[in-house]
Amino acid sequence: MNWSYEPAGDLDQPMAERLRRFPREPDLSVYAARSCASLIIRSWLRLYHRFEVSGAEHLPADGSFVIVANHASHLDTLCILSALPLRKLHRAFPAAAQDYFFVSIPRLAIAAVVVNALPFGRRGNIRNSLEMCRHLLENAGNILILFPEGTRTRNGQMDEFKPGIGLLAAGTQIPIVPCYLSGAFEAWPKGKILPRPRRLRLKIGAPKTYAGFAAGKESSLQISADLRSAVAALAL
Amino acid sequence: MSPQAALHSEVFRNYFFIMLGVLVIAGLVLSFVTWVLKKPITSIWATYKSWLIMAPVVLGFVFAGRAAIIIFLCFIAMMGFKEFARATGLYRDWWMVGAVYLGIIAIGITSLIRQPQGDEAGEGWYGLFIVLPVYVVALIVLIPIVRNRVQGQLQSMALALVGFVYIGWMFGHLAFLANANNAYGYLLYVIFATEINDVAAFTCGKLFGKHPFRSNISPKKTWEGAIGAMLVSMALPWVLRFSFPYFGTLQLVLTGLIVGIGGQMGDLSISVIKRDIGIKDMGAGIPGHGGILDRIDSLIYVAPLFFHMAGYYYFMR
Repeated sequence: MNWSYEPAGDLDQPMAERLRRFPREPDLSVYAARSCASLIIRSWLRLYHRFEVSGAEHLPADGSFVIVANHASHLDTLCILSALPLRKLHRAFPAAAQDYFFVSIPRLAIAAVVVNALPFGRRGNIRNSLEMCRHLLENAGNILILFPEGTRTRNGQMDEFKPGIGLLAAGTQIPIVPCYLSGAFEAWPKGKILPRPRRLRLKIGAPKTYAGFAAGKESSLQISADLRSAVAALAL
Repeated sequence: MSPQAALHSEVFRNYFFIMLGVLVIAGLVLSFVTWVLKKPITSIWATYKSWLIMAPVVLGFVFAGRAAIIIFLCFIAMMGFKEFARATGLYRDWWMVGAVYLGIIAIGITSLIRQPQGDEAGEGWYGLFIVLPVYVVALIVLIPIVRNRVQGQLQSMALALVGFVYIGWMFGHLAFLANANNAYGYLLYVIFATEINDVAAFTCGKLFGKHPFRSNISPKKTWEGAIGAMLVSMALPWVLRFSFPYFGTLQLVLTGLIVGIGGQMGDLSISVIKRDIGIKDMGAGIPGHGGILDRIDSLIYVAPLFFHMAGYYYFMR
C-alpha cells in the first residue's frame, strides 16, 4: 500500500522562522487569529475613523490582481484589507518592507499573522521580491497590495512611484487597481505613536492592464508614472 | 484540586520539592561534566533548559486546579495533533483537522462537566469520555460524504482517526485523571515517572548503549538504555509510594511495568510514524526536544494504561 505523505515544508522550523518565510504554509490557528483580528480592525476603522469605501465594484470578482495605493500611514494596509470581502482575506498579500516588518517578533506577528504580508526586500534583492510577487499572481485568486512609493510619505504629498510595479505589470494581463486613501496622513503620520480619530476615505478606481508594453526600464517607468497619475486622479 | 488544596496536599508539596531537587542536581551534574570533565554537551544543556521551563509550567497548572490542568492538557493534545497533521500532510484537509480539534474539545468538556443525568458520581462525565471515539469516528466518516469526495479520503480518515484516538483521546486520559480522588498523586506520578523513564533511557543508552534495540525504528535506542529505564521505572513506585499509599505490591509492580514498558513503546510508536514519513522531529516547538509530540509520546501510551489499572483496583472518583 502506498500512501503519500506530504509533510509541511517548514516542519523543522520554530514559529518565528515559519512566519518569516514566504510563501507561508497554511496554518489553521494563524487563519483564525487573522480572521478575528480583521473583524476587530474593520469595526474599529468604521467606528473610530468613520471609514468609507467607494468604487468597490471596480474590484475584479475573480482572478488575481494587484492593488496600488498611496502610502501615508500604517492604516493604509488595514483600510485596503478591510475594503476586500472577508473571504478573500487570506488571499490578499500586502507587500511589506522586509527590513522593517520581518525583523522583530512583535512586528513579525503583526505582518505575518494580522495582515498576511509578503516580505518585500527594499534593498538589493528587489528582483527576487518581484519574482515572488509574479509567482504569487500566477495562482488565480491572489491579491497583491503594493505601495509603489516604497515608504510612507513624510509630508502628506504623494512621492514618485518606483518602477517595480511597472516591471511587474508590463506585458501581462494582470489587472492593476489604483486606489487612493485620504485622511490617513492626518490620522497617523510617520513618527506618531497612536492614530487620531480622523475620517478615512478609500476610493477604488477602474483596473488597468499593460499587456501592450514590452518589459524594460523605459516602459516600466512609463507604467509607474501612469499608475501614479491614476491614483492621483482619484484624490480629486 | 484547587490552589488551596494543592498547598495543603502533602503529595503536591513533595513533588514540588522532588522536581526542584532533580532539576538542581541535574544542573550540578551537567555543570560538572561541562566544566570539570570538559566534555561538550551543548545539546543536553538545551534539553535541560527546556525542562527548566516545562517543569514549572506543568506544576503551575496542576497547582492552579482541575479546570486549569484539564484545559492545559487538551491544549497540549491539540498542539501535538497539529504537529502530527503537519508531519503527515493531513493539515491541508481542514475539515478533518477541524473534526479532530472538535473531538479534543469534547475530551476537555467531558472531563470538566458532570454527567447531566444518571448515576455517575463525581466530576467528569466518564461514560461519554470513554465512548468518545465512536462519535468522532462517526463525524470523521461523515466528512467525505458531506463533501462528496473520494480521492485520498481513506488516507485522510485513517490519519485523522489515529490522530484523534492516539494523540487526542489516549493522551486525554491524563486530563480525566484530574477528576480522581487522588488526582495529585496519580497525575504527578504519571507525568514525573514517565519523564524520568525517558531521561533514564537516554542516559543509560548514552553511558552503556551498545546493542541496538529496534534498529529500523530508532537507530540510537539500545537494549542497555531500555533495560536501564525499566529498572528505574520498576523502582520508582516504591520510592514515590506516598503518591498512592494504598497501592499493594501487585499494583506497584503493575505501575512500574506500565511506565517502564509503556513509556518506551510510546516513544517508539511516534518514531515509527516519523521514520515512515522520513522526518527527524515532529516539530521545533521545544528547543532540545524537538516537537511537543516528541516530548509527550511516552505519556500518550502510559496515561490510559495507568488510568485503567488504577480504575480497576480502586474507586477513581
